[in-house]
Amino acid sequence: MNGSRPDNEPGAEPPGNPDRLYILSTAETRARPRTHLDLVTLIVSRAEPDPGLQPEHAAVVRMCDFPLSVAEISAYLELPVSTLTPMLTELLSDGKVEARPPVPAAALPDVRILEAVMHGLQKL
Amino acid sequence: MVGTGSSAPRRPASALIWLISPLVLAVCAVTAVLSVTPAARAPVIWCGAAATVAVGLASAEAARRGRVIAGLRRRLAEREALLQRRLDQHDAETWRFARDVLPEALKLMRRGAPTDQVVRVTVPAHELEPGFSAAHRAVVRSVIEAVQQEEALRDAAHRAFVNIARRMQAIVHQQAYDIREMEHKHGNNPDVFGDLLHLDHGNALTGRLADSIAVLGGSRPGRQWRSEIPLYNVLRGAMSRILEYRRVDLHSVADVAVVGPAVEPVIHALAELLDNATRYSPPQTRVHLTAVDIQSGIAVEIEDAGVGLTDEARRRTDRVLSKEGGLDLDDLGESPRLGLAVVSRLANTYDFIVSLRPSAYGGVRAVLVIPPNLITASRFPGGDIARAPKLPPAKKKRRPGSIPLQPSETPMMDSPVPPPMGDGGLPQRRRRRGPAPLPFGRGAAAERARNAAEGRTPAPSVPEEPPVQPGMWLAAFTSGINGELHEQNGRPITDNPSDKEE
Repeated sequence: MNGSRPDNEPGAEPPGNPDRLYILSTAETRARPRTHLDLVTLIVSRAEPDPGLQPEHAAVVRMCDFPLSVAEISAYLELPVSTLTPMLTELLSDGKVEARPPVPAAALPDVRILEAVMHGLQKL
Repeated sequence: MVGTGSSAPRRPASALIWLISPLVLAVCAVTAVLSVTPAARAPVIWCGAAATVAVGLASAEAARRGRVIAGLRRRLAEREALLQRRLDQHDAETWRFARDVLPEALKLMRRGAPTDQVVRVTVPAHELEPGFSAAHRAVVRSVIEAVQQEEALRDAAHRAFVNIARRMQAIVHQQAYDIREMEHKHGNNPDVFGDLLHLDHGNALTGRLADSIAVLGGSRPGRQWRSEIPLYNVLRGAMSRILEYRRVDLHSVADVAVVGPAVEPVIHALAELLDNATRYSPPQTRVHLTAVDIQSGIAVEIEDAGVGLTDEARRRTDRVLSKEGGLDLDDLGESPRLGLAVVSRLANTYDFIVSLRPSAYGGVRAVLVIPPNLITASRFPGGDIARAPKLPPAKKKRRPGSIPLQPSETPMMDSPVPPPMGDGGLPQRRRRRGPAPLPFGRGAAAERARNAAEGRTPAPSVPEEPPVQPGMWLAAFTSGINGELHEQNGRPITDNPSDKEE
C-alpha cells in the first residue's frame, strides 16, 4: 500500500467535500522541525482528541488509539501521504501522537553473513 | 376676445349711428327745399330724396356688415376659447403621460404583462377626441416594443454569459477532479504533490470567477450538492477559493450542516467576502472567520484588520448590498467590484443577511446570517472526514499512550501455556514454526557465522556441566540456525534487542 488508490474515487461520485487538500497543509508546518515520517512509521496517539483540533487531526488522534502506520492512516482518511505528513508533524510537535520508527532494515543480518553461513553449511 | 366682448354692448348704439348720416342729409335736403325758389324746388326735392335714399342704403348696408362682423367675432372668440381649453387639456395629458403612464406601462411590462393589456390599462379611452388617445397608445406600444427588444437583447447577453460561465465551470470542475486524482496518485512524491496543490489552488480561483459570472448572469453558482455538508467544511471550502487562504484563521464553528442546495451559494458568498477581507487588509494581518449560533440562524463573521470603510464606501456598499433584484452590469463601473454585487445577488436569492460594519480592529467586520431553513443538524459532527465508515474497525481499547510494541512475556509462543522447564531450571523455548529472522546482534552473528564457516564449535553454545556428547555441537548449531539459541552464558538469548522488533 503506497498511497496510490486508483479505485478509491469512482468517477460517478464527485468528491464529497467542498474543501481542497491544500487547505489541510498550511504553511506554518514549514517552521517546525521536520521529523522523518515513512510510510511504515507507526503512529500512536498520546492524548484524547481535543475539541479544538481540526476534524482530520482529531480523526488521526482517535484512530491511532491503536498503532497505525502512516500508510494505513492515509488510506482510512483518504488523504494522500504528502497531505498527511505535515498534519502528523504538527500533531507530533504538539505531543498529541508519537511516532515509532519501523524495524530498521539494518538490524537484519546482511547478505554477506547469510552467504557465509550458506557456504559453511555446504562445507559440512 | 376682450375686444369683441367689450364691443358687444355698444352695438345698438353703433346701429343708431348709421341713422345719423341719412337723417342729417334728410334735414339738409328739407332745409334746401325750403330755402330755394319754388321754381327750383322740384329738382332739389328729387335730388335731396335721391341722395337721402342713397345714403340711407349705404348706412343700412354698413350697419348690416357691422352686425355680421360682430357675429363672426363672437364665433371666433368662442372657438378660440375652446381651442385654448383643449390645448391646456393636451398639455396636462402629455405631462400625465410622461409622468405616470409610461412608467406604469414599463412597470407592468417588467411584470410580464402582454403588450396589449399594458396598452389598454395604461391609456384608457379618454373624453378627449379619440385620435389623441390613439396616438398615446401608439407611443406606449412603440416604447414597450423598443424596451422589450432591448430586454431581449440583454437577456440574450446574460444567457451567453451564463452559458460561457457554465462551460468554464464544467471544465474547472473536471480539472479539479483530475487534479484530485493526481494528488492521490502522486501523494508520495512531495515535489509533484506540491505542484499539484498549486495547480489545484489556481484552478479553484478560476472556478470562483466562473461562478461569479454565472451569478451575475442570474444563474446559480457552481455545482449542486446532493446532501448536506457540515458548516466546517463549507467554511473551509470558502477559504480554499481565495488567493490568500493562509491568512484566514478558522476559529470555532457551530456544529451544524448546510443543506445541499444552499452549500454552493454560501461558499461563494463567503469566499467573496473573505476575498474582500484579505484583499483590503495588510498582508501581514490575519483574517478571522467564525460561525456562531444565533436566534435567526447562523452568523458567519469575517473580521479583518484592514483599512476599514470610509463613509462614502460604506454608503456605496450598503447601496450595492440592498439593491433589489435587477443588477445592472453598468453599475459595476470601471474597476468592477464584482464581489459585493455577487454577494448581494446571492443574498437576495437565498435570503442571507449581509452587513459590513467597522470592526474593533479598525478593519471591516462582515456578518453573513444564514437563515434557519438552510441549516440542518450535522450528520457527522466534527466534519465529513470524521465519519464512521472511514475509520478503522474497532480494536481492543488501550489506554492512550501505552506502547503495545513492547513484547509481552511470551510473544513468540504459539500458545500461552508456560514454557516447559529445562534441566537447569531455565525455561526452554519451543521450536518455532517456519523460518524466523535471525535474532542475532550483528557482531555476534558475524562471529558465529565465521565460526560455523570455519567448522569450529561455537564456543558459547557448548554446555558446560554435562559431558559433551559426540555430535552435540551440530545439534546446537542447527538449533542456533533455527533461531533457538537456548542459552548464552546461562541466560536466554531472547533478551537480544533485535528480538523485540519482530
